[in-house]
Amino acid sequence: MVGEQRRLLIRFEGEDLGQGAHVVLPRLTLALHEGERVALLGQSGAGKSTLLAELRRRLGGQAAWCPQHHGLVPQLAVYHNVFMGRLPEHSALANLWNLVRPLRGPWREVAALCDELGLAGLMRRPVGELSGGQRQRVAIARALYQARPLFLGDEPVASVDPHQALRLLDLIDSRHTTSVVALHQRELALSHFDRVWGLRDGRLAIDARADALTLAELDALYPDAAEPNRRPPPDGSDAAMPSPEALPCARGRP
Amino acid sequence: MSDALVDSRPPSARSWWRGGSPGLRLARHSLGLVALAVLLVPFADLAIHTRDPWGELGRMAAGLAWPAWGALESPFAALGLTVAVALWGTLAGVVLGFPLALLFARSRLVRAACAFVRAIHELFWALLFLQVFGLSALTALAALAIPYAGIFAKVYAEILEQTPRAPRDALPPGSGRLARFVYAELPLAWSQLAAYTRYRFECGLRASVLLGFVGLPTLGFHLETAFREGRYHEAGALLWLFYLLIASLPWWGHKRLIPLLLVGGVWLLGPWPSVDGALLWRFVSEDIWPAALLVGDWAGLFEWLARVPALGPAIGNTLLLGLLGSVGALLVALMLWPLASRHFGNRATRLAGHGVLIFLRSTPELMLAFVFLLLLGPSLLPAWLALALHNGALIAFLVARHADAITPGMPGLTASGRLAYELLPRVYPGLLALLYYRAEVILRETAILGMLGVATLGFYIEEGFDYLMFDVAFFLLLITAALNIAVDALSRRLRPREAPLDDPCVR
Repeated sequence: MVGEQRRLLIRFEGEDLGQGAHVVLPRLTLALHEGERVALLGQSGAGKSTLLAELRRRLGGQAAWCPQHHGLVPQLAVYHNVFMGRLPEHSALANLWNLVRPLRGPWREVAALCDELGLAGLMRRPVGELSGGQRQRVAIARALYQARPLFLGDEPVASVDPHQALRLLDLIDSRHTTSVVALHQRELALSHFDRVWGLRDGRLAIDARADALTLAELDALYPDAAEPNRRPPPDGSDAAMPSPEALPCARGRP
Repeated sequence: MSDALVDSRPPSARSWWRGGSPGLRLARHSLGLVALAVLLVPFADLAIHTRDPWGELGRMAAGLAWPAWGALESPFAALGLTVAVALWGTLAGVVLGFPLALLFARSRLVRAACAFVRAIHELFWALLFLQVFGLSALTALAALAIPYAGIFAKVYAEILEQTPRAPRDALPPGSGRLARFVYAELPLAWSQLAAYTRYRFECGLRASVLLGFVGLPTLGFHLETAFREGRYHEAGALLWLFYLLIASLPWWGHKRLIPLLLVGGVWLLGPWPSVDGALLWRFVSEDIWPAALLVGDWAGLFEWLARVPALGPAIGNTLLLGLLGSVGALLVALMLWPLASRHFGNRATRLAGHGVLIFLRSTPELMLAFVFLLLLGPSLLPAWLALALHNGALIAFLVARHADAITPGMPGLTASGRLAYELLPRVYPGLLALLYYRAEVILRETAILGMLGVATLGFYIEEGFDYLMFDVAFFLLLITAALNIAVDALSRRLRPREAPLDDPCVR
């Protein structure tokens, strides 16, 4: 196998992952090699975000990050949101000035990126005025703009149609050698990725090459789906109930 | 309550009263408050000292109905100064308060200092600075800027704390603190910060008018003189001018015009006083402290303390008036809000209700109290009426707005059924929460009403300044601040948790 010779990026050996004292993924054993394209599957709440957060923490500056629900600033323009991918690379003064008047170099680079993502002409538009699919692409543009060897995405293609999802994943692949992407589209996981990690009830239930798996095997990850051939339930619980932190005005929280 | 559910008999009055549902808890809570007020009313001096209050009221109403526009001397200078003081005072408050807001969560010292400066009313600050800077714009600006800095620090910090965290978490590691703030925090909070600043400017406008009561030549100065001298037609014209100023704020207070107003205001604020540094230092280091304390003479300090005039009754009156004012505001709000709600009455009654509410809530308490004082003479009664009407109307306005957003589930109910079953249960927790937010403001106003001759702390504070007993005045100011902080803490504990208020612009 070619994959075995590749450089090891990260290895978990029987580690407990979670937030603070709350363990979400107990005794996780897992390895990520350079050059792998991994699809991360599992129901909402299975621990996908926990695993991605831990990967992001350990990979630090190597990984570009595209969070769930985008994490964009609706009041700022598309350009500024994408620019945020490289905030640490400029001085504080340059970052400040850039809000008043876009820096010439970054403006050109972001414009090229936006052209590729179908956001041409929207660079000055506040993100709050865009459609869901456009916001999704802005979030991806911000991750691409970071120009890192690795891509970590938490459902980066959840709110676009299947054709666009495919195009966006191709674009992500062309710019990164390695990627770990959380998904809900099982067909896409098999057709587009080398490897599948399937989480169920806090366990890594599947860790196999994509060409060795069938859709039926992936269905086992979604015990709540009534029929095996139906699409898995969309991420309803997460979408309908954003965390209290994400609400624009949550005064009176304890 | 569980007994009542199993039992088929209607629950007896006692077991009904003991229920643990939120509605019953709030009802017990409110009735307890009213009972306490009723119990304490006999201790309040509610006498009417004037001979013909109704006749006087008639003459005032006539003055308001037929304002004497021609009698006004240079109303535009007073108007301009009022606006300039409010604008520059608010701006200075922002400049001082914003950096403090960034430290607010981290520093206990900053929080304590802000609580202290907030607890003292603008007019008391004005009295204090009057001794140093005289009757000048500097006094007016400092009197607004210092308490507002404390308020801005607290509210800005709360707003910033509640911005969503997701954009911050999405930033690449290593983004600087400043970059994180200006990209992922400030833009998210901006509209709320701006709205609050705007609201505070409106408060500043009212406070600026009131500064006339301590002698600064803003609109309030002319109003007080006209009222005191019984020139009610002129006072009526000035009052109309004030209402026009408030009502036309959206036009002249447009954000494009603000820089122009700021520049123009500078000309109206002058001439600036020359500040004598040595005198200022003497005032701060010696005059406002009791001499016995400065030399460390403890026995002398106790003697001094014993000579502070009527401390006990003044504190008692202040707290009593605060309680009566709050309970009065509760009752007024309960009575008035249906008048302005779309669920009741017809177009004409609603219009009238809105008019009454706007009139009562845009007239500052001090001005209302002043008018009632002329009518009724110096007792707690005019102050109580003013506090209850102004704050009650303010709460009623907000509650009516809340109720208008509710669609009743059962169409075709009678008005009383709609009120008792559909609307009141939904809006009441919010109403009570608003009342507790206002309780602190009411107490602050209570102290200030003393300046009109009501025997609260403010009366003795002004007396202290008048007789140049700065140590006594400053001591009483500290007591006022401590009372305010204590009542604020208490009301925060008692406030119903069911109705979190997400709009800072109601305080």
